[in-house]
Amino acid sequence: MSFLELNNVRKTFGQTDAVRAFNLQVERGEFVSFLGPSGCGKTTTLRMIAGFELPTSGAIVINGDDVTYKPPQKRNTGMVFQSYALFPNMTVGDNIGFGLKIAGEPKSAIQKRVDEMLAIIKMEKFGARYPYQLSGGQQQRVALARAIAIRPQVLLLDEPLSALDAKIRVSLRQEIRAIQQKLGITTIYVTHDQEEALSLSDRVVVMNDGRIEQVGTPFEIYNFPTTEFAAQFVGTLNTIQATVRDAARGALIVANQEITTSQKLDGLRNGDAHSIAIRPERVSFAADGKKPNVLNVRIENITFLGSIVRVQVSAGENIFYMDTFNNPFLSLPKIGDHAEVTFSKEAVLVLKNK
Amino acid sequence: MKKFPIWSWLMILLGFTYFLLPLIGTLDFSLRILKDQLSLDAYVNVLNAVRFQNTFTYSFTMALWTIVACTLLVAPTAYWVHLKLPHLRPVIEFITLLTFVVPAILLVFGLIRIYSRPPLSLMESEIGSDFLLVMGYVSLALPYMYRAVDNGLRAIDVRTLTEAAQSLGAGWRIILFSVIFPNLRAALLSGAFLTFATVIGEFTIATFLARPAFGPYMANLGQTRPYESTALTIISLALTWASIGMIQLLGRGAQGQLVGTR
Amino acid sequence: MQTTTTLPAPSAPRARAFSFAWLGVVPFFLFAILFLILPSGILLIGSVQNARGEFTLENFGGLFQESIANSYILSLQLSVTTAVVGGIFGFLLAYAAILGGLPRSVRTTLLTFSGVASNFAGVPLAFAFIATLGRLGFVTVLLKDLLGFDLNQTGFSVFGFLSLTLTYIYFQFPLMVLIIAPALDGLKKEWREAAENLGASAWQYWRIVAFPVLLPSILGTMILLFSNAFGAVATAYALTGGNFPLATILIFRQIRGEVLGNPGLGYAVAVGMVIIMGGSLAIYYFLQRKTERWLKQ
Repeated sequence: MSFLELNNVRKTFGQTDAVRAFNLQVERGEFVSFLGPSGCGKTTTLRMIAGFELPTSGAIVINGDDVTYKPPQKRNTGMVFQSYALFPNMTVGDNIGFGLKIAGEPKSAIQKRVDEMLAIIKMEKFGARYPYQLSGGQQQRVALARAIAIRPQVLLLDEPLSALDAKIRVSLRQEIRAIQQKLGITTIYVTHDQEEALSLSDRVVVMNDGRIEQVGTPFEIYNFPTTEFAAQFVGTLNTIQATVRDAARGALIVANQEITTSQKLDGLRNGDAHSIAIRPERVSFAADGKKPNVLNVRIENITFLGSIVRVQVSAGENIFYMDTFNNPFLSLPKIGDHAEVTFSKEAVLVLKNK
Repeated sequence: MKKFPIWSWLMILLGFTYFLLPLIGTLDFSLRILKDQLSLDAYVNVLNAVRFQNTFTYSFTMALWTIVACTLLVAPTAYWVHLKLPHLRPVIEFITLLTFVVPAILLVFGLIRIYSRPPLSLMESEIGSDFLLVMGYVSLALPYMYRAVDNGLRAIDVRTLTEAAQSLGAGWRIILFSVIFPNLRAALLSGAFLTFATVIGEFTIATFLARPAFGPYMANLGQTRPYESTALTIISLALTWASIGMIQLLGRGAQGQLVGTR
Repeated sequence: MQTTTTLPAPSAPRARAFSFAWLGVVPFFLFAILFLILPSGILLIGSVQNARGEFTLENFGGLFQESIANSYILSLQLSVTTAVVGGIFGFLLAYAAILGGLPRSVRTTLLTFSGVASNFAGVPLAFAFIATLGRLGFVTVLLKDLLGFDLNQTGFSVFGFLSLTLTYIYFQFPLMVLIIAPALDGLKKEWREAAENLGASAWQYWRIVAFPVLLPSILGTMILLFSNAFGAVATAYALTGGNFPLATILIFRQIRGEVLGNPGLGYAVAVGMVIIMGGSLAIYYFLQRKTERWLKQ
């Protein structure tokens, strides 16, 4: 039995299904992200775990205890909100100690725990300040400390970084991960930012329209997306129209040129039209040596993105991107030039048609 | 499975009872000028009274002058302060607050003391007294007029709008009347309606400046003609409703006057 | 001498930056001086002069004579009572309409009614209460006919303190509703959720978070209601015909030359009121600043 289980959890608001048949097992100490666009049901699922919403059906079990219909107060989860939600009338110390005070712990124990928490978030000197005297990043660290001060069984974070500046977002997310690993606390993290999900998580749950699209490690999600949605939502993806030439051999035609994939073309017949997908960074300019997949393309546009250079190319009707690492000695073709690009058989993803 | 909010409903019921009971009572009373039957005679009497027509017209005119004077005083000042003299904002706000500290009765006390004797004997002449009345009303209207305009100016980016207009070659007149004021229309109008509701039945200042205004007439009528004065109460309530209704329509939300003419 | 010669240096650029921008606010300041500051100032000057125009503080000593002190006390009693009762009533109403789980239309209706009622004051309001609670008033008759309860037998008079209190509350509680509504909206849903998440019951959330957050707004608004009632005169005058000795009515009659006799004393009564109004406004601003800081995000 896993530490946190969601079994067939459904939630409907009136006529709309916010979450449908959600099944997930989370192990003790695991960091799991719910990733998806807004309205995909990720926050609703999180709020059901916290107890702010009741599932229409299904069960939520934390550490062997069925909490499905328990009020939020009885669940021992720690929640961090997007808007920080610090109590404005209390100091940082009182905010962090709030849960312990409610639990009736003695003053000295509260003070000790608050000091511990302040040390963890590296804000030892801020205990007597009020929330309005802090920056957004500091407020969110205090909110995190407040949530973990009660030693929750599960830490729940609802888009905790989306209200912050880009720079602080990156540093704070590393801090969150470090604290989580240090305390070994089971964590659910809701985000619409794929970079956050991939960099933080042990596992990522990609969600769309109330459904789980794919569950896997960041590595699996990025490299082996199983659905078109997961492939599209995580990272940049080129979708290319192809025609099956020889299903048995994995051969396809793109703009009158043959390419092959290492994936199976099950259920497809020769002559079927089907879309394939390739990540931009898997495509490179072909050196002279012959490789399995070479496409003759025209350079359409070149965009400088800092560490990488994104080149837009066309092959027949298809327009797609390729990324090359930037370096000062890079010699790039000019717009309008023709070039040969190549990619491995493994890079060609065959997507399930919807 | 939310439980029925019974306490909330009870509270609201109590509140609306308090709201409505005096209104129903007044309406009922105003219809009982004839013994044992309901009639509109009190309304007919009052609407036909020459003094009603005169005082109401007078107060209506004064209300319009107040609105014009207050707009011309507040809107350009607030705009100018936003644009050029932002450090003066606390000073202006402080001045508008003075009217909270010096309510109508004290204001008129001071006004009489100054303007009833040389060198500034405005009260010697009718027109001077009218002018003084309007200025007194402008003082009363100042805080919420200023706040309405200030909020309106904050909502639009005055500086950028002005600079955009300037870069397109507009002069000051065009900037003010074609760019800034139209954007403040809702704020100015809601301030105007609130001013109207405040001033139309104003009693204290009008009494001491001895003006033939609606408020003192109403008070006077109360001493002698209870049914007619109650009918007037309903009429002035209808005017208040209309003014607040207009403000609601403008989407500004209801506002309350403070220390105005109570 | 050294210092005086070096002083102009830093102010030189400021002098160059001097513009005629201030001309734009001249009309406003002229108005403020002529019709706000001068009238207030003349009251202050008058209050420290005796009949011969010499400086004196005697007038303020006169404030403690029984009739004047009683007026102040009566005004304070009326203002505090109506501010507290109207404030609590208005707060409960606003709370019920905004956070009490009622349909949104209730809130809109309440705010509109409050807008009207808070602006329905002065002479017509007094008449409305006479028509309702007077000897032949609507409620008086209703109570007698339906319940056999004779209001007139209880010593209640529509011209007395209780009646005046009820009348003032008619504009006090709607004002509370209007001013406190944004503060109630400012209570974030997340605060409640965060408190629940940390184990707090609904009552604990209310006691430790929501009420302390609202308290400065509640107190501040009550202070506004207090000054609102303290400076009012038309309602009381029309209701009681000038026979109810509030501080404002004392001034009303002083201007008419009916009481006191000593002009300096009249000014002192006025200045005393200004001081009370100013003081309460200062407290209001202090409280207001506190909540604004809390709720700024």
